[in-house]
Amino acid sequence: MCLLFVMPAFVYHVVVVIIPSIKTVFLSFFDWNGISEAKFIGLQNYIEMFTKDAVLPIAFKNTMIWTLLFITVPVALALAAALGVSKVKRHLPQMLYRTIYFLPYVLSASIAGKIWSNFYNPFYGFNTVFEKLGLEKLSQVLWLGNPKIALFAVAFVSNWSWWGFVMVLFISALQQVDPALYEAAGIDGGNFWKCFIHVTLPGIAPTLIFVISLSLMWSILSFDFVWVMTMGGPGQATEMLSTWIYKNAFVSYRAGYANAICVLQSAIVLLIFFANQKISKKVEEIT
Amino acid sequence: MKKIRKTILRTIMHIFLVLLAAFQLFPLVVLFLNSLRSDKEIKSFPIGLPDAPSLKNYIETWEKGGYGIAFKNSILVGICVIAIVLVFASFAAYALARLNIPGKSFFTGYFMLGMSFPTFLFIVPLYYNFSQMGLVNTRLSIIIIYSASYISFAILLIRTFLVGIPKELEEAGRIDGCSEIGVFRYIILPLLKPILATVALIVFVWCWNEFLWSNTFLTTDSIRTVATRFYKFTSEWSKDLAKIYTAGVITLAPIIVLYLTLQKTFIEGLTQGAVKG
Repeated sequence: MCLLFVMPAFVYHVVVVIIPSIKTVFLSFFDWNGISEAKFIGLQNYIEMFTKDAVLPIAFKNTMIWTLLFITVPVALALAAALGVSKVKRHLPQMLYRTIYFLPYVLSASIAGKIWSNFYNPFYGFNTVFEKLGLEKLSQVLWLGNPKIALFAVAFVSNWSWWGFVMVLFISALQQVDPALYEAAGIDGGNFWKCFIHVTLPGIAPTLIFVISLSLMWSILSFDFVWVMTMGGPGQATEMLSTWIYKNAFVSYRAGYANAICVLQSAIVLLIFFANQKISKKVEEIT
Repeated sequence: MKKIRKTILRTIMHIFLVLLAAFQLFPLVVLFLNSLRSDKEIKSFPIGLPDAPSLKNYIETWEKGGYGIAFKNSILVGICVIAIVLVFASFAAYALARLNIPGKSFFTGYFMLGMSFPTFLFIVPLYYNFSQMGLVNTRLSIIIIYSASYISFAILLIRTFLVGIPKELEEAGRIDGCSEIGVFRYIILPLLKPILATVALIVFVWCWNEFLWSNTFLTTDSIRTVATRFYKFTSEWSKDLAKIYTAGVITLAPIIVLYLTLQKTFIEGLTQGAVKG
């Protein structure tokens, strides 16, 4: 009887999310354009993925670069800022910093990304400012047009919107570290680094693990910023797993093949999800 | 000596924090200032104060971009999604936090998974199914999808909130002969008000911001939501930078205003939902 409380939400979610997901796995064994009859082709899509598709390795590599960037840069930046902000003792400035850092995170990635694209515009964007400042070299950079730079330029914007969120997670973790531990370390003559490594870091370890697995999952699924800023271009320089799926599914109408890539991508994400669940349970047991 | 060193470190730290704040705000300030400048001014130099500030850009952009319709669509979608999510999620969260239901840990685990469920695993078949059912290019399609996507977050957030409040009231209610539904309606629901408001706020912002689904499913201007309308607008008016920056302000401003007035709710809701979920 009491199950009736939870069933509507559960069934609704299963119908809209889980059943289509199972269909994705199923249809990844078919040649299907989305409209006409799907034709069973066994493992053909998967074989194509690993042998014939020249773009997929690039998309995979870019996704990995993106992932590496996002498990390091914003995490380090957020941690440094969180340490700083939590040292600000007065309430008002502390809140102000938090509010400002977090702000870009609540904004739409597609809108913010498009606005940043205009800042990156080689003729009317910030390059004109660099020129005026006498930074000749910087002013000639094609931020979104140079295949070597484009991915980092997009990641830069994505980081702008993301790190403030991570910082707030770190601040609440830091607040839960027992102050007595710092005092004990202080009596021992511990300096900042010693305190950080022996007290702070173990104290925030669960949050750190959580942040890293969240960043991993989120990076592998990352879509909005890349799509609105470069659509995977120039050439394939910023192609990600998600943009490549999107192009296959909705641009070239190879829905069956797109599903095979979806399965690969989701398998990685779900693996991280379950690994994180396991690890955080272990960590909870220790602490 | 030690004191001087401490002061220097302190100053460096403050400079660091201020620079970070400037970095976060700078693009938004430029965006706002440019919305008051003319296209010519922006093209001659992208950063600057307006020569003759005017609201001309706003009037033109609002009309040419059809943002009245886009706002209406986003608000409509937001309200429907909030209603569905709140009803389903508060019942489910109540059951998971309070009732003795079979498979409790299964359901909790399920909704945790639901919260980080990869979007791309279900977008393709859903699109073509909806297309067969004639649902593509209707507001209903994204209402269905958004409510399913955000329900897990809502359940976990409400559940955490419920776990944190004492049970005495409900038990008193049960002794007084309330049914489960009665306890829920007259005792739990009033207690849940603050967290339901948090969920509503966050879900609304997500509906406003969402891009992947709406850009795929909504193709007619008359039903586009704000974020997708803006996206299309930037390609239609790519030559007129003043309009693009103005449109940026128009589409971001409601969220910025909401955020600045209710920042505590935002920050706590979004981070707690992530962590404890």
